[in-house]
Amino acid sequence: MTALLRYQTALLLRSQRWLPPVILYAVFLGVGVQSGQPVLDSLGYAAAALLPVAAWLVRICVTGEPPAARACVAAARGPARAHLAALLTALFAAALLGTAATLVVTVISRHATNDHRLPVPPLRAGAAGLLAILACALLGSAVGALTNRPLLRSPGRAVPAMLLAALLSMVVAGSPAHAAVSGLVTGSESGRIPVSPLPAAAAALLTAAAFALASALSGRRSP
Amino acid sequence: MHRDLELARVGRRYGIRGPWVLRGVDLTLTPGSLTRVEGANGTGKSTLLRLVAGIDTPTEGRITGRPRTAYVPERFPSALPFTPSGYLTHLGTVHGLSRRSAAARAADWLERFGAAAYAATPMAQLSKGTSQKVAVAQALLADPELLVLDEAWTGLDAEARAELERAVAERTAAGGAVVFVDHDPRRLAGVPDAVHQVVAGTLEPRTAQAAPPVGPLTVVTARGPAGGRLPADATRPSASAAEPTPGTYRLTVPASHSDVVLRALLTAQPPWHVVSVSPPDVPPDEKDRP
Repeated sequence: MTALLRYQTALLLRSQRWLPPVILYAVFLGVGVQSGQPVLDSLGYAAAALLPVAAWLVRICVTGEPPAARACVAAARGPARAHLAALLTALFAAALLGTAATLVVTVISRHATNDHRLPVPPLRAGAAGLLAILACALLGSAVGALTNRPLLRSPGRAVPAMLLAALLSMVVAGSPAHAAVSGLVTGSESGRIPVSPLPAAAAALLTAAAFALASALSGRRSP
Repeated sequence: MHRDLELARVGRRYGIRGPWVLRGVDLTLTPGSLTRVEGANGTGKSTLLRLVAGIDTPTEGRITGRPRTAYVPERFPSALPFTPSGYLTHLGTVHGLSRRSAAARAADWLERFGAAAYAATPMAQLSKGTSQKVAVAQALLADPELLVLDEAWTGLDAEARAELERAVAERTAAGGAVVFVDHDPRRLAGVPDAVHQVVAGTLEPRTAQAAPPVGPLTVVTARGPAGGRLPADATRPSASAAEPTPGTYRLTVPASHSDVVLRALLTAQPPWHVVSVSPPDVPPDEKDRP
């Protein structure tokens, strides 16, 4: 699996197809986060924006490899493991991007609530932000896994389905990403920092199921 | 490869309601065997090879005994952001080699196929034939137990085509199974242990033809130790063996397998003496084949 992950990572980095989503995310943050704004609010924004970016990274990783090259890898390691490696590479990339964003946002923001009355310790805020980022990266990867190859193969269906699913998983009450982000936003009002690992854990379960389904189907629904 | 790969009543269709491309396929691949699959365009040869290689899962039926497998596609894309040596090193580790030995073997195989000069050229700039050499090298890199070749010879130059035939001979001599599809009837002619034909969505063993095509041959003359018997590894790939004078044998061998036979003779215990290696002096049609 290490060799597969290294191969997929090299493929992602060298193809430079990671640039558009990363630039889009940077633009999102540049528009929505300014230094001196309340930290929890900005972290919530950064987490929410990461969800569609994570789904897009999954799309890049599972469609980037030419089919013939994918077949060579699938013969060597089995189609399920080859697909899982692509999904995990995208998840790691999204988590890395989110972690960097959390660090920057935590450092440049004002460590107080919205009304500037209560202080928000930066370390606890950063930890809460990381958990929310993780929940959004996981759920975004799950969305990407379920709305791309092998489940939806034509771009005409995959891309709209992916965007819609990313939007819904952000706004529907009960979704772990919604819970994580609204925890940060209300925390920024009340001063209560949400450090519950529950949303991230729920997102991890959903993602594990989505990855397992997509990997199991990759040998059945190819090419 | 220690045990057989078996396909039992295997069927495959694309999509839930799609037509069956293949159905009721039974196939056993034993270690050390060379299998040829024939069929017209669009009959499902590639689908069968993808199932054999484990790239696709059968819609029905079972495949058991999966060995370490490598696959060569018919067309290999150059749209990969690597150099051949970088790509082959990655694929070598994916096949289970260490990074160091993957890099060393990548260099060896590129050399064997005459592509060493392109080892550091970005793959996007490679010609179709050189890309195909990279695809072939990728599959041979880690000594696979099962090698699946889907028209792998297409696009290769004459020397690389002969080299690939020799590589196939080496693989089967080392106990690996090889399955191939090729539209050239002279490809490894006379060598396959089994020939199957994809007909109407199922696989049939081809009935023996009156005159199987014969490829280029080589005559190896060797003398053994007193009372010695020919090593089995040398007689198995040979088309015929004659003993013109006691103790001296004339082996008629498919040209692709001459290296394998020579290696078997020279590494036998006690070793045999190779008297000569020459092209056949009689028309190949007059050779009787088993």
